[in-house]
Amino acid sequence: MIQVPAQDFLALAPVAVLALGGIALVLSEVFLTSGARGYQAGLAVAFAAAAALAAVLAPHPARIFGGQGAADGFATFVTVTVCAGLALSALVGASWLGPRDAERGEFYGLALFGASGMALLGMATDLLVAFVAIEVMSLSIYALAAWMRRGKKPAEAAFKYFILGAFSSALFLYGTALVFGATGSTRLADVARGGGGPLLVGGLVLVTAGLAFKVAAVPFHVWTPDVYEGAPTPVTAFMAAGVKAAAFAVLARTMLAAFAGAPAAPAGGFGGLLAILAVLTMAAGNLLAVPQRSVKRMLAYSSIAHAGYLVVGVVVAGHPAAREQALSSVLFYLAIYSATVIGAFAVVGALEGRGATPADEPEDAWDLDRLAGLGRRRPMLALAMAVFMLSLAGVPPTAGFVAKLLVFKAAIAADAWGLAVVGVLTSALGAYYYLRVVVYMYMRPAVGAEPAEAGSPLLSVALGAAVLAVVILGVGPEPVASLARAAAAIAP
Amino acid sequence: MLLGAVIFLPLAGALVAAFLPAGEARQHRGWALFVSLLTFAVSLALWAGFDASPGAPEFQFETRARWIPAAGIGYHVGLDGVALLLVMLTTALTPVVILSAFTVSDRVKEFMVALLFLETAMIGTFAALDLVLFYVFWEAILVPMYLLIGVWGSQNRVYATVKFFLYTFAASVLMLVAILYVQAHAGGSFDYLAARDGLRVTPAAQGWLFLAFALAFAVKVPMFPLHTWLPDAHTEAPTAGSVILAGVLLKMGTFGFFRYAMPLFPDAALAWRPAVAALAAVGIVYGALMCLVQTDMKRLVAYSSVSHLGFVMLGLMAITAEGLTGGVYQMLNHGISTGSLFLLVGMLYERRHTRLIAEYGGVAKQVPWLATAFVVVTLSSIGLPGTNGFVGEFLILAGTWLGRMPGAQVLAAVGASGVILGAVYMLWLVERVFFGPIAREENRRLPDLSLREALVIAPMLLLIVVMGLVPQPFLAPAKPAVDRLVLRMQQADQRRSPGRPTVGRQPPALAAGGAPAGALAAAPGAGSR
Repeated sequence: MIQVPAQDFLALAPVAVLALGGIALVLSEVFLTSGARGYQAGLAVAFAAAAALAAVLAPHPARIFGGQGAADGFATFVTVTVCAGLALSALVGASWLGPRDAERGEFYGLALFGASGMALLGMATDLLVAFVAIEVMSLSIYALAAWMRRGKKPAEAAFKYFILGAFSSALFLYGTALVFGATGSTRLADVARGGGGPLLVGGLVLVTAGLAFKVAAVPFHVWTPDVYEGAPTPVTAFMAAGVKAAAFAVLARTMLAAFAGAPAAPAGGFGGLLAILAVLTMAAGNLLAVPQRSVKRMLAYSSIAHAGYLVVGVVVAGHPAAREQALSSVLFYLAIYSATVIGAFAVVGALEGRGATPADEPEDAWDLDRLAGLGRRRPMLALAMAVFMLSLAGVPPTAGFVAKLLVFKAAIAADAWGLAVVGVLTSALGAYYYLRVVVYMYMRPAVGAEPAEAGSPLLSVALGAAVLAVVILGVGPEPVASLARAAAAIAP
Repeated sequence: MLLGAVIFLPLAGALVAAFLPAGEARQHRGWALFVSLLTFAVSLALWAGFDASPGAPEFQFETRARWIPAAGIGYHVGLDGVALLLVMLTTALTPVVILSAFTVSDRVKEFMVALLFLETAMIGTFAALDLVLFYVFWEAILVPMYLLIGVWGSQNRVYATVKFFLYTFAASVLMLVAILYVQAHAGGSFDYLAARDGLRVTPAAQGWLFLAFALAFAVKVPMFPLHTWLPDAHTEAPTAGSVILAGVLLKMGTFGFFRYAMPLFPDAALAWRPAVAALAAVGIVYGALMCLVQTDMKRLVAYSSVSHLGFVMLGLMAITAEGLTGGVYQMLNHGISTGSLFLLVGMLYERRHTRLIAEYGGVAKQVPWLATAFVVVTLSSIGLPGTNGFVGEFLILAGTWLGRMPGAQVLAAVGASGVILGAVYMLWLVERVFFGPIAREENRRLPDLSLREALVIAPMLLLIVVMGLVPQPFLAPAKPAVDRLVLRMQQADQRRSPGRPTVGRQPPALAAGGAPAGALAAAPGAGSR
């Protein structure tokens, strides 16, 4: 009988709060007596805030449940990032679903369940716990992707995501089995001790491949554009922010164990393998984004590219001298990217074209032309989008620049200047397609007479928060940067 | 504190303007002019308070503050004489530009906000003493400039502005990697002084670092063959954008060589000096030849910038006190004279809505004051004695000729041919636009300078004459910085090739044979070697 201290359960408080919130929101639909669902988004935001608070206040033992999890600063940072992403996405969701008459309690419930999986994933230091958390997260997101199920694109997206997601989970699980066979344990601490021989390497390669699916790293990225484009826009935003943050958390922990435990893997150990992945991801993501005319699809490819920069951060964490810098840069990048990408998708969602019925989807729902002349039609919306685009491109003085700076600084500290050079060159390429959005908004006349819709107040709140985060953290990143630095000290 | 005020006053003004109603165009124009004039007034205190004596500290008005300690990035600003001069150029040009842009009627609020934001970024670029801070200001220039060209430019503006942005952005990102590399090998600090004194890298690495910095700066200058963005950007930009671009932005490139690329990596700079100097000389002649075949006035002035900036680069690469001083002086001159040319071409454009030279001819009779101003500016641009252009070009060519750089005299001769070509294309332009018979009916009804336009151009003409006749107050602040750079490069030179110096001036006996010695003695600020 294993004795589990009470504080181990307390450390799971954020996960519990999110799961309770999910139940509450699903139940709220049962007790609904009128069509008034306006409070549901607010409730979701409140639960997200409560979970973030719980994550900060709960005890922080470095090992919980005998080393299956860690409630360290790293996990806390990831949980808070996920909760912030959840809150923003919920606001965006309310403003997007409302006019489509698709707002239901289950939507927020699923998002909260997904977030509880993400929070758990941030804590996982055992491959089996990670697997369970990934499944909790993924099942919710599969369902959310199919939320507008009568459309062709959402159906395709959800189906594709489900099939490929299941495939990647299988890879992950099979890898976990091999790791267990090699080391007799699925705990990362035992993996880091090494000694499993080729079996361990093989297992870890499969685990890495499974995680690479989740973070959309090339060559495991092919699902991303279709799924991101087809899923309801607020769900896409939540996927880009939350799933990425959680998956990178577990990828970082796993890779730190793999660097130590399997230094003899081909291509210079896992560092070398991952470096190849990073270069491919940065190059392919940016290159493929260039020809896109659909802004939503462009942002999907851009999220692949950003995964590449994050993988650079994970790779260089393998260098002992750069580990703290590298991990803190990954955390900072995740936080900034979440705010930016949710904001960008929120603008896309506010502008997307709608057919008469959900099944009737206009081909050009997210075409660049829909942005033409936005600077005159909706100046504030255009300004927000311009800020997000500049941040994604990494132009100072936005937070996106600081995030890239910190990642590349860590790369240089690890003497991986090649990765830094590829990183900056591909981000210069990225500037092209981000700028094109700004060109359309400010330098082209509007196509057709699209009436200037009034934005919903919830959307304004979400966009305002995201813009403020991007600008303020661009000018004065210290508060979050120092938090990320404090959170980066994790046990290998 | 004073310097901080100069840097951030325009930004504060822009933030206030952002909350003023967009419909009130007059209010925005007045407010922007007021803020820029106030900034200029405050910057005069910098000018007055700067100590140019040899014993004075290298950087004055220094401020250090914590910014992002988690990453070792600090807020550190300060001015040496060269930066001071360029800051003064910026604060003096901006009100002129804003006054000239009173004719902009579309989205006035955004226009003025962009200009004020740009001013903060430009001053910050010159004042920064932390590498990341410098980079942030350097890149922050791009966004307002991108919008100025892209939103308020002429026909082909989108192409021009995207080209401008991508060209300069792509060239700058490698500088970011180089900055990070420098930080990692200079004790973990991004501070400029720490990096300059503490950088320990292999010669090969220094070469790459120099190239990364030099690429970013050479595109901004722009040096041949990286200049192709410039004619497009200049031609399509609104007048205000062209003036800022020519007046200040291009100086950021030459300033970058002076402040960063050369002192941080002296050995590599010396190794690459022949190539850079040769490209500078090619640029001088190439730019001048391109000017001869232009049909568009703005494009002609843009190519003349390529030629003039070639002079500046040649002067910097000579690494003699005269050459560097001349280079710095020519930066100011080019800002004033080419800025004025763009202002005047803009005024002509507002009257006739064409920039084609062939559309004009003989208009001097209709617009005598405008023509007079244009001729004065032209004379400054071609370096007629008595104007500021002469002082700069003379110092550069003398400094190159007398320098120890291999092939210096060939380069100086090539450069001198650029002076002649410059006279040809500029005077020919004046002749085709202002003199001869009036060929077109539309040109018979052109109004002369309005009071506002006169107020725009008068301070520029005044500067041209004053800087031509009394250069001393403008040369003096630059002297300590120039001397320090020459000394630094001399030390590196001795390490590289002991006993065979390539830096500094030749012995006086030889020098006397090369040029009239009296002329050099008359050139102020050319003392040390």
